[in-house]
Amino acid sequence: MGGSCFGYRPVSDLAFEYLREGDGDPLEVRERDSGGEEPGGSLLAEWTPIPGKRLWARLHDEGEAYRLWVDGGGTFRIDPRTPSIEVPARGETPVRREERLWGIPAVLCLRARGDLPLHAAAVDLGGEAVLLAGPGYSGKTTLAAGFDAAGHRVLSEDLSCIRLGPAPAVIPGPAMLRIRRDVAERLALSGARDVAAGDDRVHFSLDPSRRGDSRPVPLRAVVMLRPSQNGLALEEVSAADALRDLWSLSFRLPGVEDRAVSFRGLAALADGVRVWNLARPLRLSELGRTVETIAAHV
Amino acid sequence: MSSHGGGAIDSKPEKNPDVAYRALGSEEGAVLLHLQSGEYHGVNELGLVVWELIDGERTVGEIIETVREQTDDAPPRLADDVVAFLDSMRQLDLVVD
Repeated sequence: MGGSCFGYRPVSDLAFEYLREGDGDPLEVRERDSGGEEPGGSLLAEWTPIPGKRLWARLHDEGEAYRLWVDGGGTFRIDPRTPSIEVPARGETPVRREERLWGIPAVLCLRARGDLPLHAAAVDLGGEAVLLAGPGYSGKTTLAAGFDAAGHRVLSEDLSCIRLGPAPAVIPGPAMLRIRRDVAERLALSGARDVAAGDDRVHFSLDPSRRGDSRPVPLRAVVMLRPSQNGLALEEVSAADALRDLWSLSFRLPGVEDRAVSFRGLAALADGVRVWNLARPLRLSELGRTVETIAAHV
Repeated sequence: MSSHGGGAIDSKPEKNPDVAYRALGSEEGAVLLHLQSGEYHGVNELGLVVWELIDGERTVGEIIETVREQTDDAPPRLADDVVAFLDSMRQLDLVVD
């Protein structure tokens, strides 16, 4: 089947919901019946569960490959060299499994490719990407949905892939938006389909005619999202201050070497593009004005 | 042998190899990251000049003189400022002797 995500073209017998048009680097994806076992190897990272928000997960190092175990979701085996990802044959629905595939497993592959993953949404403003960066539950996805409703292309909803170089660019990720139910009820997302409800969010597959492909989109700016009680304020920040914030949003494995690679990438990003602080009220009634402010001034 | 703070003027400071740094454009100085601790530090333009002169070969005195040569309108307390900067770098384990 055709399609791409994060610049990869899945080579697989499986069906995918969130691919964009176009081609990419081959990424082998196949099912494996792991029987729900927890992986061996040294433990690299663990995400503790947050009820209703995040599942328990563990990432193990197997030397050349990784295994990601997700409570209730099965085990993924990731070999970034090939690159290839084995997904669990049992556990969750194919759509939820694909959402996990484009999370940590894809991050491990794109890091090995030399790209920089960042905890940020991304939108396309007139052919240039703007990153909407912030920690979990800072309103990234809601704001990205606001851009979609205003007619802009959403490039990523939560995790962005950045290609560094003289002109940094964003490589579009899965064409999905997982937004709060109250937001979904009030926003008109043209052509989007609800494909996987089940938690406190509605999982939308974006309109295929508006997804575009996953070729790199030149990066215009980074907007750091901050809550405010006192209206909307947009202010450019120094590269040094930006780097401090971006560091907290980067994906890093334990170890000096990985920290050094992440630091170099983030420093190049902070020094190469304009970074803004956006303080805004976290009210749905302010969403349209926030979108307009970013589109007009960033 | 004269000395200021914890470092002798004829000592030859070295960058800790477990520190990554990046000089920033637009006269913003630089940022340093201690890769073991994950601690992050910003330095100003003068700090960046000093940092780039630290090579394990130059003495503190030679660093001060080179900074003086490279700096327009060097402040009268330049030597004290450089020594204080190096002392703080040592305390943060960013520099070793």
